[in-house]
Amino acid sequence: MKVKIWGARGSVPAPGPQMNRYGGNTSCVQVSLASGEEVILDAGTGIRTLGLGLAPRPTISILLTHLHLDHIQGLMFFSPCFRSDAEITIWGPASPEGSLEERVARYISAPLSPVDIRELPCSISFADTPATEWELGGATIRAEAVNHRGPTLGFRITEGDTSLCYIPDHEPGLGTPLADLEPEWISGFNVAYDADLLIHDCQYTDVEYPDHIGWGHTAVGDVIDFASRVGARRLMLFHHDPLHPDDFLDALHADAQGRWGTRGGDPGALVAAMEGGELVVEPATGEAILMPAGPAPGPGPRL
Amino acid sequence: MEEWLAVSDRAQKPLELILARNLLTSLSTPAFLVDSDGRLLFYNEAAGAMLGRSFEETGQMDAGEWTSVFGPLGDARDPIPVEELPLTAALRDGRPAHGRFCIRSVDGREHTIEASAFPLIGSDSAESGAMILWWPRADGGEGRG
Repeated sequence: MKVKIWGARGSVPAPGPQMNRYGGNTSCVQVSLASGEEVILDAGTGIRTLGLGLAPRPTISILLTHLHLDHIQGLMFFSPCFRSDAEITIWGPASPEGSLEERVARYISAPLSPVDIRELPCSISFADTPATEWELGGATIRAEAVNHRGPTLGFRITEGDTSLCYIPDHEPGLGTPLADLEPEWISGFNVAYDADLLIHDCQYTDVEYPDHIGWGHTAVGDVIDFASRVGARRLMLFHHDPLHPDDFLDALHADAQGRWGTRGGDPGALVAAMEGGELVVEPATGEAILMPAGPAPGPGPRL
Repeated sequence: MEEWLAVSDRAQKPLELILARNLLTSLSTPAFLVDSDGRLLFYNEAAGAMLGRSFEETGQMDAGEWTSVFGPLGDARDPIPVEELPLTAALRDGRPAHGRFCIRSVDGREHTIEASAFPLIGSDSAESGAMILWWPRADGGEGRG
């Protein structure tokens, strides 16, 4: 599968000359499957540009991790929504507050929007993510609740022998030391286990994190611990803080690579998401790239 | 894929149980966490201090096992059946339940407590377990050995 980053920023768009390399658009990742089907992860402002280049008669699946504004803001500016030949299915977390359509409609309706969902000319449908895996364009999708504020999902996309895990908003280390925790008590463990590529929240430095405990995001140290504990083979730092300009993210990335390398990992297997960046996800071979920092996790087969 | 599912489904608890454990870890109120079968998944340091043994020493236990070790006991110091405990009512009815009884620490000391059990129901509306907080009663019985 191919992955293209259309928005890697968290919380709020952060345009500006100091943000040009990593980009200012909020969360949106395009996953192109071998079947030709397009799966879009989140609909932050990055989805606007993505939509401009899609082929005629697009059939699109959008997987929303949650409904915070930085993950849905671009939906109203996604050009296929305004094309009658487009078929769009939006998947997202269930909530006792209302259906997914009702909750998205709070944004795509007055006074926040000049149009309502029912006015969109495209064919659009909404679906709660099922508790079990489901098939999409020849890939297997799995969604699981993860620790963030409000109903929030992590996604795993498996195509053949290749797996991608996307958890853009996640605080797995809240109130607990990840390095020492048994796998069964780690939020997101199932969905990220042994992923060939893990795209994960890395909003804060370790110094910044104490002022943001409980906000639902991760510091770089916890990201590396999490990736290590789940045996991720490659790691992409994602959901950059809007206050972090390019130079700052360069330094954060270098720091993370250094820690990764200290544990025996290949620094080249750890990247920071950049808007416009593309990569092909391939099954990694051999053992996990990272070695655990704390006690070794329980025995588990390599799959 | 089936193999992956088998491994990972066994590996991770539902999110609400993970968050409940994190909460209990930070409380000075003694507390238990059980799954939907009544299996003891975790108890915090405050509970361990009262029971005379830390969770790290005991580990997870089935309902029959932990009730035989820690009681609970009625007024006549007779064992209270699991099905009559507040946690069982919470799991069975999906509602909070409260009770008063004795528990026994590993050194044989008895503690009279009040306990409240709260069912934990996840976003998928499935009941995944219960959280039980307890308080030593002020009207006697504490630490009787």
